Amino acid sequence: MVHDMIISSVFAVVQALAMLALSPLMIGVIRKIKAWFQGRKGASIVQPYYDMAKLFRKETVVSDQASWVFRVTPYVAIASVMVAALLVPFFTIYSLGFVGDLIVVIYLMTMFKFFMVLAGLDTGSAFGGMGSSRELMVSSIVEPTMLLAIFTMALITGTTNLSSISETLAISGIDLVRPALFLATAAFFISLLAENARVPFDNPSTHLELTMIHEAMVLEYSGRNLALMEAASWMKLMLYSVILSNVFFPWGIATDLTVLGMIGGIAAILVKVLFVAIAIAIIESGMAKMRLFRLPNLLTLSFTLALLAVTSYYIL
Amino acid sequence: MIQTNFDVLFQSLICILFSGALVAVLLHKLGRPIAWISFAIAFIGSLLGILLSIDVILNDPITLGWSLGTFFGEWTLYLDQLSAFFLFMVCLVMASVSVYSFGYVGEYEGKYDTGLMGALLNLFFLSLVLVVSSNNAILFLISWESMSLVSFLLVMYEGRKEGVTNAGYLYLTMTHIGTAVMTAAFLLMAYYVGSYSFDDISAASGSLPSSVSSAAFLFLFIGLGTKAGMVPLHVWLPAAHPAAPSNISALMSGVMVKMALFMMVRSFFEFLGPVPSWWGLLVLLMGCISALLGVLYALKETDIKSTLAYSTVENMGIMFIGLGTAMVFQSYGLTSLSALALLATLFHALNHAIFKSLLFLGAGSVVHATHTRNMESMGGLAKPMPRTSVLMFVGLLSMAAIPPLGGFVSEWLLFQSLLQTTAVPDILVKMLMSVSIAILALTGALAVAMAVRLFGTTFLARPRTEQAKNAVESPKTMLWGMSFLAALCILLGVLSSWIIPYIDNVTESVLGVSIGSSVVDGLSISPESNDFATMAPLLIALLALIGIVMAWVLGHPKSGTERTSGTWDCGTPLSSRNEYTGTALSNPIVRVFGNIYRPQSEIRTESTSSPYIRKRLFYEVHFGDVFERRIYHPITILFTGIAKRMTVIQAGSIQAYLGYIFMMLVLLLVVFR
Amino acid sequence: MSSEVLTDAINGLAAIILLTSIVLVASKRMRSLVRTFMIQSLALGMFAAVVAYYTGADHIYIVAVLTIALKVFVIPYFLEYTIDKIHVKKEIEPLVGIPMSLLICAGLAFVGYYVSEPIIASGDAITKNCFAISLAVVLIGLFLMISRRKAMTEVIAILVIENGIFLGAISITYGMPLIVEIGVFFDVLVAALIMGIFAYKINRTFETLDTTFMRRLRD
Repeated sequence: MVHDMIISSVFAVVQALAMLALSPLMIGVIRKIKAWFQGRKGASIVQPYYDMAKLFRKETVVSDQASWVFRVTPYVAIASVMVAALLVPFFTIYSLGFVGDLIVVIYLMTMFKFFMVLAGLDTGSAFGGMGSSRELMVSSIVEPTMLLAIFTMALITGTTNLSSISETLAISGIDLVRPALFLATAAFFISLLAENARVPFDNPSTHLELTMIHEAMVLEYSGRNLALMEAASWMKLMLYSVILSNVFFPWGIATDLTVLGMIGGIAAILVKVLFVAIAIAIIESGMAKMRLFRLPNLLTLSFTLALLAVTSYYIL
Repeated sequence: MIQTNFDVLFQSLICILFSGALVAVLLHKLGRPIAWISFAIAFIGSLLGILLSIDVILNDPITLGWSLGTFFGEWTLYLDQLSAFFLFMVCLVMASVSVYSFGYVGEYEGKYDTGLMGALLNLFFLSLVLVVSSNNAILFLISWESMSLVSFLLVMYEGRKEGVTNAGYLYLTMTHIGTAVMTAAFLLMAYYVGSYSFDDISAASGSLPSSVSSAAFLFLFIGLGTKAGMVPLHVWLPAAHPAAPSNISALMSGVMVKMALFMMVRSFFEFLGPVPSWWGLLVLLMGCISALLGVLYALKETDIKSTLAYSTVENMGIMFIGLGTAMVFQSYGLTSLSALALLATLFHALNHAIFKSLLFLGAGSVVHATHTRNMESMGGLAKPMPRTSVLMFVGLLSMAAIPPLGGFVSEWLLFQSLLQTTAVPDILVKMLMSVSIAILALTGALAVAMAVRLFGTTFLARPRTEQAKNAVESPKTMLWGMSFLAALCILLGVLSSWIIPYIDNVTESVLGVSIGSSVVDGLSISPESNDFATMAPLLIALLALIGIVMAWVLGHPKSGTERTSGTWDCGTPLSSRNEYTGTALSNPIVRVFGNIYRPQSEIRTESTSSPYIRKRLFYEVHFGDVFERRIYHPITILFTGIAKRMTVIQAGSIQAYLGYIFMMLVLLLVVFR
Repeated sequence: MSSEVLTDAINGLAAIILLTSIVLVASKRMRSLVRTFMIQSLALGMFAAVVAYYTGADHIYIVAVLTIALKVFVIPYFLEYTIDKIHVKKEIEPLVGIPMSLLICAGLAFVGYYVSEPIIASGDAITKNCFAISLAVVLIGLFLMISRRKAMTEVIAILVIENGIFLGAISITYGMPLIVEIGVFFDVLVAALIMGIFAYKINRTFETLDTTFMRRLRD
């Protein structure tokens, strides 16, 4: 029992750090693929690492209107995503699942959002308020959708522990596939885009004030503070992609401690996350950002799908 | 020996409160000193109550035999685990409220009778103690009524302010309708059982004909639901809770509404016997409606205390979801799942009592400093009032169910118990359950938005008015009162694995099943079995703390590389008019849920000679409470219409009135000859 | 192949059919409506093929091939041609807002599930779950027809209803006699053609496809 816990803890820390280390790479890959679609050569896929290093060396400017909320937010942001990362299986099913389940993960993300939205308001700039206001609208529908989508998987596998969901699905395989799984996957993918401020919800590469959500909230951050906020957001994208990969398609994840299984697990998760990155890049190249008040249509679509997923599990 | 000691404790608690009230009433002319004395008495009383209730939860029920031998059977006071749990909740909140009141009463010095507030506070406390401990239907109704009346007087305390009287009378009317319906329910039960004693009623549970118990259930649900602010009977709550002084609002929203929950748990499970599944589904449905509408209405309010009051409606809805789930499980014989849901409900009630009273006290401090309840005239208070802002922040985190605070743990338990519904065989139940999961999740997300909006508008950005700019931190006693509650908010979450076994004692006394050993395993909490899920709040807290410290160590700007400068302003000097107000912040959400709000908005423009250049733009938006407009307004019109007709008999001559009495007398004589 | 994999495939395809019909409710552009319909019909064709393999009833293969040929190629091609011809790009504001329509559709799906529950409970056929979904699809199709204004959308709505009925027919009876199926296919093809032509004519006569203008025909 204790032995298991130690192994899980070690793996959890290694995996969380691996996710943190790889998250800028994922951003780099998405940007590169988008560049190809646009017929550009694009920056190197390691460019986000350079950006991060640069931001760490830069001077930090804090608004004179800012209160303590603005100052603590970057640390809370990175801490909440890292704690969440400890609870999510990455290349093995070993994680700190006994500390918290999927509800904890989603609510830790809410904690991140809670602080970030307040930080957006804190400096008294109209842009920050705009971003915060829109983020509240999007997240108030996305969050339940995410919960419902993962609950579907939890009900199918009989546990809300993310690691156990992956394990059960990976071992018992395709027998557990139900109609609900398809609906839930679709709902979760739409929410993933919304939650991480990707097209068609938000355009991550724009700084045009009137269209942006995420960028508007972190507009006042600079230097190391900005570096932490960006790292946290990238990490969040990574985390959701990993959840999508490991909860909905966990096949290939390492379920034991063999070396072969580990290597297989690492290869599998990298391929799966790469697929998510490609999917995001394709969507961003092929779609325009939606008008703000068109967003509820798409959000409600994902919510409805998630609701039907849970109900379909119960009925069918 | 020890047992008798606690009996004495109980007796002395009641005596102390009664004498406190009496002294304050007699000497209220002395003003502030007498108020302080009565707050001190309330504080001592609450400490006694905490001791007493802990003892009862751990050991055995206490009966106080003050047998008055009256017409309606024995009037005894009785504390079992369930009532002790609610007494505990009352006393915790009361302890901090009484400390807070020391500073807060200064607000009313010279304007209102402060001695009277002390007296009413003690009376209110006393009536709450009697409500949880009465063991007789009539005594219960009397205590319930005095609780309502005292709280009505407290709502009317600032009677010279505009709108307070209206709120007070609305409250009085609604609560009386509720009490009337409840009385009918108790009379019905007592008629079939043949006794007013709660002991006899619960002993006879199950022997009632199902039609009678269903009717009693409906009456009780409506009557208690009125007190609990269940939609659509909630209209008084967002008017009356904010109108009262803030320390009283904290008690009303934190504790008084829970009395309804207390009686629901007691009567639905203990008095009315085997629960049919439709009762549970009805409670669940009303809970869903209350939760969703409560939080949506909270998102449109600009009054800080009304926002909190609507959030109380929401949280009572969440508790009803839990209670309904427990009843549904119970009706299918799944008693241990029922216990899980009930445990989640009771734990949420405790959490809500703590964080909501903290928030109301915080709102009181803010109102104390700015002399307005309108959030949009505040702003930037985090700088002049840093301590209050941090304390309120903790309360809001708990309200928004951010891990690992108390609010999160109870919401987690609630989600887990809803997810166990695969065990229920009925398809209709399953469908409604899946919808309730969705609504609970949606409510949670909207509650986050509401918490953000409340804090952001009140404490962040620039001050919007002079008063907000000149605000000062509240007196020490007020901060102490709030700090106690804020600490509890955190401890209830972090230490929940130690607290839940005691709440399990309470559910065991109601349902007869103990699930404590399966729910708590060392540091972690899990529903039923460890296989389904586990969560360790303490470890989450530790990890989060380590994470934040590490992030700070590794990532804080090195000294000399940080400087302060103005917010980026695109070259135009920023003022408080540039920042987002609460209305603006929630506007996108209001638009998305426009079907529910049905706001009436109007845009008027004042043009110059050219239609393309506008001098001014007016934007007006009105949100009526839909229920007020659609249900209560027509009823009011109907009744005033009838009343107008009835004025005919009011002739004004004394002979006519004597004549009416005479006619009545004759009629009675003929009927009852 | 093991029967479990087949069941999963059947259930998955049925879920995709439900998913696409909800996506149809959410989309307003004519082209995306037609594309989504194509995906739905493709899933339906594959569904029929899998059922054919599972039951060994060969005539369902023919039905599957016909479904794919007609509903994935011929009818969508014709619809796109008509759309090009009369320049309708998107639906004007639907009568019921899209978020509301989606929630109503969720409710309709619940009704479908609820109504079909006795059949699901008593049935032992492998495709019994699909009956609930087919009922939901039919109801959603009907709702789509009621809530939209453009004649083109209504054509697609009727095709969705037909898909739902077809799904139900296969899942309950494992396919009707071949001659009936073929008859139905020709019916659908002819109906789609006629309605397309009608839409074209409506557009020419009223200068719009908005069917609310048809009220003028009363006078």
